[in-house]
Amino acid sequence: MPSKLARDVYVIGVGMHAFNNNGVAAALMADVAGVNALDDAGIEFPEVGALFNGHLGGGMGAGVHIAKEFGLTGIPVTHVENASATGSCAFGEAVHAVGGGRVEVAMALGFDDMNKLGGIGRSRGKRVGAEDVMLPAAFFAMWATRRMHEVGTTAETFAAIAAKNWNHARENPYAQRRADHDVTIDEVLASTMISYPHTSMMACASGGGAAAAIVASKEVAERVCNGRPMIRVTASQQRSETYTEGHVFLGAVIGPAQMTRDTAADAYEQAGLGPDDLDLVQIHDAFPVEELVYYELLGICGDGDGDRLVAEGATSLGGRIPFSTDGGLTARGHPGGPTGLAQIHETTLQLRHEAGVRQVEDASTGLCHMAGAGSVCVVHVLQRT
Amino acid sequence: MTSTMVPTDPRLFRLPEGDETRPHLLGSYAPESELYFWPRRLRCPVTRTAVHDVVLSAQGVLFAWTFLHVPRMGNISFGDTGGYGVGQIDLPEGVRVQTPLLGTTDDWQIGTAMGLTTFPVGQDDDGNELVTFRFEAVR
Repeated sequence: MPSKLARDVYVIGVGMHAFNNNGVAAALMADVAGVNALDDAGIEFPEVGALFNGHLGGGMGAGVHIAKEFGLTGIPVTHVENASATGSCAFGEAVHAVGGGRVEVAMALGFDDMNKLGGIGRSRGKRVGAEDVMLPAAFFAMWATRRMHEVGTTAETFAAIAAKNWNHARENPYAQRRADHDVTIDEVLASTMISYPHTSMMACASGGGAAAAIVASKEVAERVCNGRPMIRVTASQQRSETYTEGHVFLGAVIGPAQMTRDTAADAYEQAGLGPDDLDLVQIHDAFPVEELVYYELLGICGDGDGDRLVAEGATSLGGRIPFSTDGGLTARGHPGGPTGLAQIHETTLQLRHEAGVRQVEDASTGLCHMAGAGSVCVVHVLQRT
Repeated sequence: MTSTMVPTDPRLFRLPEGDETRPHLLGSYAPESELYFWPRRLRCPVTRTAVHDVVLSAQGVLFAWTFLHVPRMGNISFGDTGGYGVGQIDLPEGVRVQTPLLGTTDDWQIGTAMGLTTFPVGQDDDGNELVTFRFEAVR
């Protein structure tokens, strides 16, 4: 049963600090992203009624501490942590705070530096237990080898998806990986093997960054839109996993693929549309097999037809339904806290038709999908109104 | 002093007993849903009814695998092989287990019969050999 919003919610401001591997302090990046979002919305921080800070690595209450730089206005500040989907969940909480009538304006801010994040798994700080030390690279590589076995997907297809996302990021000033040349399939395949069939150029970029989004009621959005198109959040859905055949309880990075299909179905129902109505999609492409599988789980194509979409270039900029238009996790980057909010940033720019050379022609509806360890899946649909 | 093998986590598996040649994973069975689970659950996650402890089969079939090119797993070095295999094993009870693999990439194909074995990971403070588990191809 999809969750509902009691009233319409609009994105009125977005901001980012470029994702990077330069060791910039996460708190400073958070401030830049937050101030940029406030400037984009044309409001001052005291108008924000609630703040949701998505952050993985800073310890207890770190997200709350960050808020003190914006002003001690006394608003409720909540630290949100939900693995890779942290930023998406922070955004979802902000949307529901406005949609439920709690506040008129809410801000979601995500920031992190993954280079300073501690280990994961139950063995952290203790003697190893091999049963619980599984890296995401291994988990998603097993998705890939199984896909190769069942569907006949080739390593070249995975490389084509990664190369596409690297090339999308070339024109994104906020991307961590900006190649100075057209990235080729051969180049991706020739990079260092990390977990068969995935090479280093297929793996998401790990680093730091920050992103923010401000949402508001229709009354506020109409007041501050200043002639720009209003971007409405028409679906905000979050799920955890349900039991499926072959359920892996220990060591699985994320839950069964069905989780994405179910969350997307909820989002389509809430938004009153279907996959054919989408103009662009941002996806949890930590590894290219994910993007490939999500083509199918989101209903963009039939099961087993994702490889054909790649071959046709349908998911590239200029194609029928571009995915990861800002470079995705692969190349824009994937610090845990801000990634989901970077998707909202990119989608908002696209729907306002402010995405420059990355602009998807006549874009009016975009979907953002994130999956996270634990596991969690979040889907948002944004529409130009 | 004779070294004794000690499981790193006795809730997850036990060492071979009697004539057994392989360790066993320790799971749960839910009579109402007729589903098995590993690791043990407090209740059936599908029907939320009672479960009881079971000893799971020591052999299964390889569902998926990869070779991870990293030099270490926690405090275990794989410097000589350049990494280690990881797989998902389907046990006859319907349980899928994610686990390190023993062997080389030539040993693993989807559908390969796999058996549970111990995996030394160090010593405890009393000098006992700490072991966890992994799967190997059954020849």
